[in-house]
Amino acid sequence: MPEKVPAQSANTPNAQTQAHAHAHVNTKKIGAVLGKNSVPIFFLLLSIGGIIAAGLDINYLINELLGRLGRNSFLVLSLLIPIIAGLGLNFGIVVGAMAGQAALIITTHYGWTGLGGFGLAALISVPIAMVLGWLTALVLNKAKGREMVTGMILGFFANGVYQLVFLVLLGWVIPMKNPAIMLPSGIGLKNTIDLFDISYALDRGLDFIWDGFIMTEVGSIPIGPWRIPILTLVVTALLAWAISFLIRTRLGQQMRAVGQDMHIAEVAGINVNRTRTVALVISTVLAAWGQLIFLQNIGTMNTYNSHEQVGTFAIAALLVGGATTRKATIWNAIVGVLLFHTLFIVSPLAGQKLLGIPQVGEYFRVFLAYGVIAVALALHAWQAKVKSNKELRGE
Amino acid sequence: MAKRLLLVSLALVLVISLSALTVAGANFKIGVVTGTVSQNEDEYRGAESAIKKYPGMIKHVTYPDNFMNEQETYIAQITGLASDRDVKAIVINQAVPGTVAAIRKVKELRPDIIFVVGEPHEDPPLIEKYVDVSLIPDNISRGTTIVELAKKMGAKKFLHYSFPRHMSYQDLSSRRNIMKETCAKIGLEFVDVTAPDPMGEGGLPAAQQFILEDVPRQVAKHGKDIALFSTNCGMQEPLIVAALQTGAIFPEQCCPSPTHGYPGALGLEITDAMKGNFPAISDAIEAEIVKRGGAGRFATWPAATGYLHTTAGVDIAKRAVEKTINIKDAAAIKQLVEVSSGNKALSFRKRSNNGNFYMYIFDSIIFGGK
Repeated sequence: MPEKVPAQSANTPNAQTQAHAHAHVNTKKIGAVLGKNSVPIFFLLLSIGGIIAAGLDINYLINELLGRLGRNSFLVLSLLIPIIAGLGLNFGIVVGAMAGQAALIITTHYGWTGLGGFGLAALISVPIAMVLGWLTALVLNKAKGREMVTGMILGFFANGVYQLVFLVLLGWVIPMKNPAIMLPSGIGLKNTIDLFDISYALDRGLDFIWDGFIMTEVGSIPIGPWRIPILTLVVTALLAWAISFLIRTRLGQQMRAVGQDMHIAEVAGINVNRTRTVALVISTVLAAWGQLIFLQNIGTMNTYNSHEQVGTFAIAALLVGGATTRKATIWNAIVGVLLFHTLFIVSPLAGQKLLGIPQVGEYFRVFLAYGVIAVALALHAWQAKVKSNKELRGE
Repeated sequence: MAKRLLLVSLALVLVISLSALTVAGANFKIGVVTGTVSQNEDEYRGAESAIKKYPGMIKHVTYPDNFMNEQETYIAQITGLASDRDVKAIVINQAVPGTVAAIRKVKELRPDIIFVVGEPHEDPPLIEKYVDVSLIPDNISRGTTIVELAKKMGAKKFLHYSFPRHMSYQDLSSRRNIMKETCAKIGLEFVDVTAPDPMGEGGLPAAQQFILEDVPRQVAKHGKDIALFSTNCGMQEPLIVAALQTGAIFPEQCCPSPTHGYPGALGLEITDAMKGNFPAISDAIEAEIVKRGGAGRFATWPAATGYLHTTAGVDIAKRAVEKTINIKDAAAIKQLVEVSSGNKALSFRKRSNNGNFYMYIFDSIIFGGK
């Protein structure tokens, strides 16, 4: 920075060039940071514009964001490991979400409640998710280089199997009797399942210490009501720590090697298929837990639809946070959840306020929500192109 | 990492610095949640008429078109309404899946808010527990009334178009069985036809094409005095067109309303002056049907249920907030629904004593059948 240059030597030609070079490097550096973070910055500006346009109560926005941060971060974090292992964005987390729901159906059927019931559901979901994750890996290892689209179609297929199991086989082939959650005919589950027994089990698991409720005033500005899902955020932070720990282990290094170049990794003696399988199994189990966290917060389960969009929305959030299909960090996930959900909360209201017609808010939101995914992907493609051009020029 | 932290904190600071905007106005407001016109036009127009009737009192938002997949957004729309301290009641029409979750979230911070819903999709015993008043047409009883109406209009046979997905809905399949039994009881022949599912590969166009082709076949086989009924909304328009061409009978749509299927099938233009004015719309339909020689062969309910759930819902909510009615008083609710629709209900019953879940039936108007 120029002011650091000693005053007495400021007039010597040598010092002037130094200062000039310094300033040049600095602007270049800022430019690079801006360029690298162009996606989150773009969405930050969009969110701020939306907040101003919507004229929304800020306390409501913060409370809503806190809830959504707890609800969605775990799911978004479950995407990281496959990206490190070079599998791209794992649309297959839909399968993990189904495993979580299957576990919840079991615990609800037996009437296990509270944090214990939730923990049990998390435990039951592990073997289911592991098997499903392994099956996903079997398919994706056969489709190297096309993992994303294969994973997405796999999600659709798995949805069909899910419906077959819970709409047709349950009560017919699989013996189960429970009028509270099943259709009156005794075959298949109802379209909504009340999760009252485990609702907020994790979010409020630390209520005996502090319930996370904030409602106060600073000066004359009202703060709150906010409700912080403390235990959920703690668990999410633990997961973030565990992921950064995993990356530094031998397995993590192998995943990175596979992610960078499968052939070189193979030559170096790494079992590529096994490493990719492990990454997918971990991701699927985490997605199952993520879906459990999501549903304990919502409090009811939309039996046949709750899982459908899990992949799309988690991936969109991660992309908005500045991740790419080849590189993603924990901060990308957290910034992404905050920005993507701010847009989701703000855009219907902004659309309505700007144009004065209620339904336009909905169209505006849909336009934004799916538009952001396209814009994020386009910005990444542009960044990648700039980078490869630079490399070609030898910069 | 420091830069990312900076970015997050920067965002938060900006968010907080845009301090809260509170709007002062009437002493209370009513939140209204409906679909957009691409989902169901009647419920949206109902909200427009409520806004006109109670200026400054209604806060209208819409639920996602893709509501099955975007529950988080749907819930946020409702909690967003409740975050306004002036909102004392919320009317949701239709109460799509996620309603119970949303109500629970609202009640945590705002236990005082009154909820009135139309056409709940979730399990009725669950809805009953949380909602103050629910309104829905009595679909099971319509199994009897539609067949009886068909006989009154001169039908000798009754044709039921549906497909497996709909027949896996508890209410729809029970209604089909009741229709079949009623036909046997009052001496009509019941004809069951499986149509293509509009959610299948061909989509809605294939299903509509099937109806246009199949009705003439069925009329050729069974004669003109056959009443046509379908469980699917998208099939109503081609059914009316085909019934007019072949001279068959059309007693009632899946969702009874003058605006459902008739304007499209008859090419009627609903002018701004006619919007929400159901007697005027019915008169226009009647004139067109009589002109095309269908007098006495077509019928529907005098008011649109989707429209009514919004307007009556707002009326009920307003009075409940003002404490001029007791929300648990069935007679008062019935009266408000009748006044709002401008018609007398044929039946108006509570589903059970666990809540206020009302199912109703209106008398039909037969076009040109006076």
